[in-house]
Order: sequence, then structure tokens, then C-alpha cells
Amino acid sequence: MPELENLKKVWDNVFSCMGCGECGFAVNPNAEIYLTCPVKEALGDAAFEIHFSRGRMSVLKSILKGAIPLSKELAEFVYQCTECGNCTETCHQCDENVVLKISEWIDHNNVWNALRKDLVQAGHAPLEKHATLIELMNNPEMKNPYGEEKSKKYAWADGFSNIKEKGEFAIFGGCTMPLRQAETLKNMMKIFQAAGKDIAMSKDEWCCGSIAMRIGDYKAVEEEVKHNIELYKSMGAKTVFSPCAGCYRTLKKDYPEIIGEELPFEVKHITEVLAEMIKNNEIAFKEAEAETLKVTYHDPCHLGRHMDLYEEPREIISKIPGIELVEMKRNRKNAWCCGAGGGVKSQFPELSLDISKERVREAIETGARVFLTSCPFCVGNLRDAVNQMSSEVQDKIEVVDIIDFIALKI
Amino acid sequence: MTEVFQKLKKIVTEKYISDSIYVRHAYSRNVNPVLQGVPDIVIRPKDAQEISEILKIANEENIPIVPRGGGCCEWGGSIVENDTGIILDMKRMNNVINLDQDNLVVTVGAGIAWGALNNYLSQFGLYTGCLGPGSGLTASVGGGISHHSVGAGGCAKYGACTNQLVSLEVVLPTGDIIETGSQANKFSKVPFNRFGNGPDLAGLFCGDNGIYGVKTQVSLKVFPRPPFAAYKTFVLPRKDTEAASQIMMEIRRKGIDVFDTIFIPQLVVVLGAQEGMFPLWKQLKRKRGILFYSIEANSEIELNERVKQLDEIFLSKKTEELGPEISDGNFAKWQYENPWHLYHNLWGIQPACEPFTAECFTPLNTLPELVADTMAWENECKEDMQKIGELTGNRIVMSSAGPVALIDGNNVEYTVGFNTSHSYHEGTTHEIIDELNLKLWKSLLIRTYKQGVQYYMCGSVPSKLMVEIGAYSQEYNNLLKSIKKTLDPNFILSRGKFNLTGEME
Repeated sequence: MPELENLKKVWDNVFSCMGCGECGFAVNPNAEIYLTCPVKEALGDAAFEIHFSRGRMSVLKSILKGAIPLSKELAEFVYQCTECGNCTETCHQCDENVVLKISEWIDHNNVWNALRKDLVQAGHAPLEKHATLIELMNNPEMKNPYGEEKSKKYAWADGFSNIKEKGEFAIFGGCTMPLRQAETLKNMMKIFQAAGKDIAMSKDEWCCGSIAMRIGDYKAVEEEVKHNIELYKSMGAKTVFSPCAGCYRTLKKDYPEIIGEELPFEVKHITEVLAEMIKNNEIAFKEAEAETLKVTYHDPCHLGRHMDLYEEPREIISKIPGIELVEMKRNRKNAWCCGAGGGVKSQFPELSLDISKERVREAIETGARVFLTSCPFCVGNLRDAVNQMSSEVQDKIEVVDIIDFIALKI
Repeated sequence: MTEVFQKLKKIVTEKYISDSIYVRHAYSRNVNPVLQGVPDIVIRPKDAQEISEILKIANEENIPIVPRGGGCCEWGGSIVENDTGIILDMKRMNNVINLDQDNLVVTVGAGIAWGALNNYLSQFGLYTGCLGPGSGLTASVGGGISHHSVGAGGCAKYGACTNQLVSLEVVLPTGDIIETGSQANKFSKVPFNRFGNGPDLAGLFCGDNGIYGVKTQVSLKVFPRPPFAAYKTFVLPRKDTEAASQIMMEIRRKGIDVFDTIFIPQLVVVLGAQEGMFPLWKQLKRKRGILFYSIEANSEIELNERVKQLDEIFLSKKTEELGPEISDGNFAKWQYENPWHLYHNLWGIQPACEPFTAECFTPLNTLPELVADTMAWENECKEDMQKIGELTGNRIVMSSAGPVALIDGNNVEYTVGFNTSHSYHEGTTHEIIDELNLKLWKSLLIRTYKQGVQYYMCGSVPSKLMVEIGAYSQEYNNLLKSIKKTLDPNFILSRGKFNLTGEME
């Protein structure tokens, strides 16, 4: 394998970074940017420039020029990035009238992805905890990074008569929700049942491979990708939907890139499905309660910045009677990351929680009582943060998956 | 260096110091495609006291030290030279220490960015007037003071950011800590005036490019943001530079306190439209130079009166007014709403390109001649530029580009420079590109120096050139040296800049 094989492919992205540093320091209310890098801010005074994009780009220039090597030491810095993509949004501050050309040359996550691939290829990664997750994911008895038996992933589905083995409308349940937030899936079925909607589900779905891809270990997911595509083809699926933002991104964006062609089915996120159902009057909400309930919504990075899916969750919330959506100061493209992505939650759990706490504080500032989101990773990490914070915080806000919230309101 | 590292670690604790090769390379560049200096150590002090102790050790060990604010100097101002020395990362000192709303003075840690400071001030209806450099979303207040920065907006009305300076806390290279202006009187409770209590020693550190001391606290005048503003954009007639220069002179003669007046030469407008940078000008029939103004006022009547006066000046020079919305081409509105971004739009026109600039101050009436001379320089350098283009497929563009911003007095900031390629291209490092880039840049700097301009960012290369080409008189150079020697006998701070280490002549 040639050295720096992947970084060399994105050399122009690296050298297009001029080092303006806005990815580390920008506060620009006109663009609704209030700082950029969640990792840098969570590390606070202990953050050096290597901890945000500009510094890393400078290091990569030196690496590409052969001045310094890849190493495990570098990997320890690199994997502290959640790959939230906020640096790219800040870097690309453009509008329809004035275009920053750099926005056409730099995609930070492409660069980080290439770097991670090269670190893996050179044997400096995966880091210890990431390696364990990948091993579990590839274990034929498990096929999930949680190390649970395969069958456990489907236990939640018992008793739902509208779940079929085959069909055009199929669920990709992922690993986190069935194994850690199964009630949400049951609530999802409650919504489908009320709408008289059947879904297809396989009991041989493997991990989508997101965890390994984000680490840069693409070799580890070759089988997963093939297996899952064949599986849904064999089920006759025309639409595969996922309640997990990570799986959604992986299926919709990464799978076609890996196989080099379009998938034989359409991929949707659950919020797209639910928004369509509401539009088609398939979901009947209860009447509004006497008092309006304020909620706020957190855009998961895998849904928002990675996939440009911002409005569907908001459309859903806007249609629920008696609910007022209050946006956080940083929303949509500028949303602050929950801290769980890019493998940070598993390898650097404290850092991940520190990032999450900042987002919880921001949600509380809105006065919302309910903190909605639509990704099991975000739900998990934001809940972990709330649980670590004071009882006053816990009294003020509750983290709720948008699916659970809808189920409460029908 | 290990022993020094241990000594420094005791001052700041382990968390705030690093000698990791990756951390060091992360601090090895500014906004510049060639210059690089890899420090031995990066240290992040929290206050003047820690800096004082760090400087004392640097003196004991004879190790050069370079303060770094936002790190966005284009001229190698905040990287070490010869891959030796310590980078003093000032960004930990980024807090607002006090806002004196009665006397309209804000005191901040020198590491705070202009954008963050103005965001803080906006909740009180205040701003810093001059919004600092174009890079002010990153650039620090301390760095701005070290460079007499302009560029983000407001400099036509308020001048360079040093005009707002009230007092400084400075750590001298030997480790002594002083305060300037009203704070030279230790009985003074709050900073309120830069001048008095003897000579204006703050002036010694304004625009010093970090050679005379490390700025740790900065007190600036702040201003209530007027509630009314207008912004208009005009297409200039064929001889755009002359027309822009005449209009700006007329504005000054009439004493109209425009917030900004900025000239964007025809080359940028044409190129910007061609390359898709300025969709707002796509529909322009005549793609000529653009001149725009923004003005603020405390009442609508006041605003309308000034707009009337300004429009008369602009239209008398055969300009054509564009519509009021940004989509109509009103760049003035965009700039007023998006300070700190005008310059970024001129960078990175092609992939893996960066600018080599020679941004300078020059009197208004010299602008046409200066622009003509820069264009002549560009023609003379075509061969070298083509060589770079042949190796990379990128063309070098915009040598005489602008924008040109009206600053205080009858001066403009002339942004001249060229966008060029990195020496690394598709897996190969072409060292010849670095050599050619440096040759071109130095040649442009010398050419413009000799037109009598004033550089405010001097960094490492231009500050030395100034000395090497004999631009300073011997007496002036000796004075610079003798001040340096008095304040910094071991030449610890920003060693190399202005070639100050030699003997006096």
C-alpha cells in the first residue's frame, strides 16, 4: 500500500487551507456562528492548535511534504475530533451573492477521513477502544459493536404483527437503538400501527459499519456492506429507512461510494418517513393541552451537516398541537455537536460528555422543557450529560427522541 | 531544551506547554504559502506574571520567543525563525476584564479576537469603531495593536485600531511589567487616556510587530453604535482608480465621516464575476471598478443629509448607482453586515493557492500612480509567474488587485499582492516554486517600498527588507536598535525582525 495513499488524494483540500483560523475562533452573529470547534471549546484552555482544523491542516502540510511522519501520537490527537463538520460550515461562509471560492476546494471531513484511513493503513490506528468495537462488530456471533448476541437486537420487535419478513418498506434498525433504546423502536411501531402501516424487518441485519468507517478502517466493513445490500435486495425492499442518523448517513452516503454505484433501494431517515405520514394525514395527534409546551431541537451532525436534512424534523414538530419550537442560538448548519461522533464517545468519554454538557446548557437557555433530537447517539450522549449535571438541570430539561415524543402525542 | 521545558512547565503546569512534534508543526505557519518556522516549544500562559517568568527563563537560556495571537499574519509575524525558539500562544488570555460603560473604555486580555469582543460589546449597543483587521474573527486585539491593523470595517471613520488605544499592560522582554497612559500613574483606578504622565510610551508598542514587549492587557475606547446606517455601491467610470481616488479625496475635503469607503478595482470585479465569486455582479453590463460607502448616523435626518452629500460626490464623477439590495449588486450592504470577510473572498481563487501580499498605507493622491506601477511590475515578472503556472496548472492572479480602503486622514490601505500556488502539487514538492514565490514577493515589496508606502504588518521578511534596502535613515535605524538593546539586551523577543541584532552604525 503506498504511503499516505489517501491523504495524497486530498492534497488540494489540505493546501487550500490558508490558515485564517476561523475554524477555531470565529464569533460572527451575522452568520449565527458562535465559535466553531466543540472539541477545542470543551478542552478549554488546554486546547492547542492541533485540536482544531487549522492546526491539523498545518500538520498535514508538513506530513505531505515529508517533514514529519504519521504516528500513534498523531492518532491520539486526530481521534479527538468528532467529525461534526462545523469547521467546514465556518470555513465556507458564503451566500448566494458572494461566494468564497475556498468552499469549492475544502471539505474537512474528507481530509480527516483520508487521514484516518492512512493512520489505519500504517498501523497507528485503530486506537485501543476503537479496535475493540470493530472486533465486536466483526464477530460472527454478534455483528454489533456492543458485544451483544445477534438475537438480542430483534427482541424489541416481539408482538408487533405489522412487522413482516419481506416487503418494499424495510427498516434498518441499527445497533444502538435496538440494544440501548429499544422503547423508542416500540414507540415507532405504535405510530406505524396507528397509521395501519406495515414494515419489513430482517433478523440478520449486521452493523452498518459506521463505527469502523468513521475510524478509517474500511477493510473491516467490506463484508458488512455486501451483506446488508444483498439482504435488503432479497427482502424486496424499495425503501430502507433508519431511525438512526449514523446508519442513515452510512447507508445513503458511504455505501454507494464504497460500491461505486447507486444502491438498489432508496434510503430514508425516520424523520423523512414521519414527515411524509403527517403530510398524508396518516398521523392523528391528540388535541393540544391547555398549556403550550416549549421544545427545542438538536440537529444531529450525521443528519444535518453531513446530509443536509434540517427541515423534516421541524416540519414534524410544527404539526404537533400545543407545541412551540424554540430554536437554540446555534441551530441547523451551525448546531453545536453533541460530542458523540467520530469515535470520541468510545475513546474519549469525558471529552464527549463535556461537549454534550455545553449543548444541554444551550438547550436550557431556550426555556424549553423538552430537548428533542433524532439520533440515538445524540440521545444517549445528551442524556448521559444531563445525568452527570446538577439536579437543577435534570429538573429543567428532558432529552427525548422525536419518535418517542410523537408517540406521546397520538 | 529538555531542561528549559521542565523549567517552563513549572510556570504554567503541564497542561499548557507542549514539545510534541505535532503541536509544534501546528504552530509553524501563518497565512503564507512559503514561510514556516517550527518552534521547539509552544506555551500557553494565563497572565502577565507567567509571561514575565517565561521571559526571564528565555533570557537566562538565550532562547528566542515569539508572541502569537490569532496567528493570521501574512508576513511570518508570529512564527519562529530558523526552526528555533518558543511560541507564546496568547489565546488563553481572551477575556473581557472590564467594561467601563461610563467612560466608554473596555479592557481585555490581549488574546481576545476582534469578532468575539465586538459580539460581547454588541449587547451593550457598543462597538470598537475600527473593527480591527480583515482577519478579525481570528486575529487578536493584541496582534491588531502590534500591527496598526485595519480592514474589517470602520477604519474610514475611526482609523487604525491603534487610534482607539487607551492603555496597555506590557511585559517587557526582561520580564518587567508596565502599564501605559493613564495607568502609568499607579493611583489611577481605571484606564481613561492614552496620553499624559510623560511621553506616549504606548506608542512604542503600537505597530512594533512584537519586538519591544508582549502586550497582555489592552484598554480601548468603545463607541455607541449609531442606530441608523446607509450603504450604497457604485460602478465607476473607465478610469476607475483615478475616479475612486478623486471621490475619496472629495469625501475628506467635505468632512463627511463615512464609516467605510472601499474601492474594488475592475480586475477583481471582472475576475470575480468570471470565477463565480461575486454572483451579485453577474448581471452588471459594464464590469468596471466598484466603489462603495457605508455611513452611520444618530437620526434619520442626519443620515439622509449625509447620504445626499455623498451621492452628489459619487454621481458627479459619472458613477452609476446600483440597487439597494445585495442581490442588486450592493456590496456595501453585504460588507456592512459581514465585516471581516471582504479579504477572504479574494483568497483561494484556485485550489491550493495562497496570497503573497504587500498591504500598505499610502496617501490618497498617490493611488493611481501606485496601481500603475504595480501593473508594470506584474508585466516585468510574467516569466517567473508563468514558470509557477506551468508546474501547477494554476495561473497567478491579481497582482494589483485591491481592495483599497479609505482609512483615517487622507490615506488608503492598498491591498496589493498575488495569489500563488504552494510548492507541493499532486505528490511532489517543487522547491523552485518556493524560491520563485519568495523572489516575486520580495521584489513586489521592494518595488512598493520604493514608492514611499508605509507597511503596517512587517513580519519577518518585510521588516528586514526595509533595513536591507536602506529605507530607514541610519539615525532612525540606530534609534530602533538602541531602544531594542535597552529593552531587550539579549534580543529574546521576535529575534530577527528589523535586523536589530547587529551593532549600531
